[in-house]
Amino acid sequence: MSAPFYKFDLFGYETGLVIAFLIGVAFGFTLERAGFSSSRKLALQFYLRDMTVLKVMFTAIIVAMTGLLYLNLADVLDMSKIYLNPTVLYPQMLGGAIMGVGFVIGGYCPGTSLVASAIGKIDGFFYVGGALLGMLIYGEVFPFFQDLTTSGAMGNATLSDWLNLRPGVVAFLVILMALGLFYVAEMLEKRFGEKA
Amino acid sequence: MNSQPEKYWSPYLAGFVLGLVLLATFVIMGRGLGASGAMMRSVVYAVDQVTPAHIDNNPYFAKYGGGDKNPLDNWLVYEVLGVIVGGLLSGLLAKRLKFKTDKGPRISVKGRLALALTGGAIMGFGARLALGCTSGQALTGGATLALGSWAFMMVMFASGYAIAYFVRKQWI
Amino acid sequence: MREVTITSGRDMHLIDPALTIWGWEIPVYLFLGGLVAGILFFSALYYLRGKADEMPTVVRVTPLLAPVLLGLGLFALFLDLEYKLHVFRFYTNIRLESPMSWGSWTLAVIFPLSVVWALIHIEQVFSGWRWPYRWMAQAVEMARQYARPIAWVLIIYAVILGMYTGILLSAFNARPVWNSAILGPLFLVSGLSTGVALNLLISKSEAEKHLLSRIDIMAIAVELFLIIHLFMGFLASTQIHIEAAGLFLGGPYTAGFWIFVVALGLVIPALLEFLELKGRVLATRIPALLVLAGGLILRFIIVDAGQMSHWTF
Repeated sequence: MSAPFYKFDLFGYETGLVIAFLIGVAFGFTLERAGFSSSRKLALQFYLRDMTVLKVMFTAIIVAMTGLLYLNLADVLDMSKIYLNPTVLYPQMLGGAIMGVGFVIGGYCPGTSLVASAIGKIDGFFYVGGALLGMLIYGEVFPFFQDLTTSGAMGNATLSDWLNLRPGVVAFLVILMALGLFYVAEMLEKRFGEKA
Repeated sequence: MNSQPEKYWSPYLAGFVLGLVLLATFVIMGRGLGASGAMMRSVVYAVDQVTPAHIDNNPYFAKYGGGDKNPLDNWLVYEVLGVIVGGLLSGLLAKRLKFKTDKGPRISVKGRLALALTGGAIMGFGARLALGCTSGQALTGGATLALGSWAFMMVMFASGYAIAYFVRKQWI
Repeated sequence: MREVTITSGRDMHLIDPALTIWGWEIPVYLFLGGLVAGILFFSALYYLRGKADEMPTVVRVTPLLAPVLLGLGLFALFLDLEYKLHVFRFYTNIRLESPMSWGSWTLAVIFPLSVVWALIHIEQVFSGWRWPYRWMAQAVEMARQYARPIAWVLIIYAVILGMYTGILLSAFNARPVWNSAILGPLFLVSGLSTGVALNLLISKSEAEKHLLSRIDIMAIAVELFLIIHLFMGFLASTQIHIEAAGLFLGGPYTAGFWIFVVALGLVIPALLEFLELKGRVLATRIPALLVLAGGLILRFIIVDAGQMSHWTF
């Protein structure tokens, strides 16, 4: 068992930064190839006309999730050393609700706005400017609702803890759900899509 | 030379490659991808240049850049730098490098830019509250089956669909 | 009176183990020196090959900037001097064993020559240019008759200037990172590459940009080769040098060097230029800007890392 490499000290912090850059290049390249550098393409998701976001995201989640499970099963990777986003339920749900609004109005999410800016999208520049401003505001007002930001903290909770099912079973359910969503997405695009 | 932009990848191919990138990140670094964290750090860096005392006095800013800490000395910052370069390379190769504004046919450019700024600000605020954005929460947390990330993802899409009707003029 | 007793000689404040007395001035000077060497080298080269009309930017336009850029570089160097009034002392002797002496004499030749070279070309660049006095026009006309020998001298001195920016550092035996014979050629090639990049930024002719891109790709390939050899040389050397290389291979300069210099300053611009030649992309300015930024950062990192590297522990 030697993965994750960084956590097993196969290389140091500075080398990690170089790897970060290379991974970022691959990440940005893929996002752009998927068409996520176009706000309209992203936003049409919410009008059921272009379901690319859903398809890309769930395919990526399935691939990475099953990859993790298999590597863990094969004793190559130590799952307990993988960073798990801690669950802090209320701020995450409230933040999610706010972001949904921002997504439809702004047309990007932070990552895709950077990719859009990189290829010269002017609305991308404005979005990035707005996002930086929003973060500044958040930092400024943070002291007033500090309690909220930790409410509903559940530590490293996972879906399998919550459903009381083994991770493999949850993964299987996620795959089933994703396949169902893909089917629906294809139907919707046929019905509402702009291609025809 | 043919100057028509190339087609995007099939969403499933793009998703598959994105999944592999994410998996490689887990295997190599033991962590996932992100974007908004790096943007937050740029904000802290900028404020730190103007008024370092303000950074030290604010508990949220101090976490990133209090005292001698350099907010930009961070994994995510370098990853996001790569994201910009990778996006640029892809756009160049596909001949999509061009100054333009994406919008629906029924809104002016100025209107779209104003909404992009507004939406960005809302998103930036929300992303910090939610402890991450679409990359850091939905994608990374989704793949590790983190409970909060799935809750976040569901609420975000639900809220997007709920509000979509009111800004439809911007896009369709 | 405060008495300072140095007992070991190995723990001097600000000197050992880290001597960081060179700030931004030296790297900026080294960058501008290399850049000017690159500009003048290619200008003179293509002038001698009779390409002045095909490559107007390289031969005539960009060299107009050379004296200005070199002047700025020398000003930065001057700012760094501890005893500013003692500059003239460089010119009271010639010391063949001192790179600083070499450098100051090289500058004494190439700086005036770059001015003359610019004056020779100024009329062809600005079509409405008129000299205010007749003697000026006559003097420039006289210089123009010697343009070919001047070009030869410029080529030679441009190479010396470019090499010297690296040798200035490699002469410091006490700094393992700098103590490599590769540094001279590396800085020379990097300087040539930044010179080409500046031409790429300015040029408006497609044919000229095409040729410049090809030259730049070659220069970058040589540079990468030299960088690899720099590290192979360090790693095959003493423990001191292995540790010096460690500053870039996992140490504090790893990210800066490999991301900003090698990836963003060399590999990606070369890739973009290559794709451009293949007719795949259209953005000459991006690789040019990346090369210029990479060249500047290279000098900052090498100067900084050199001052970090040392013989003691």
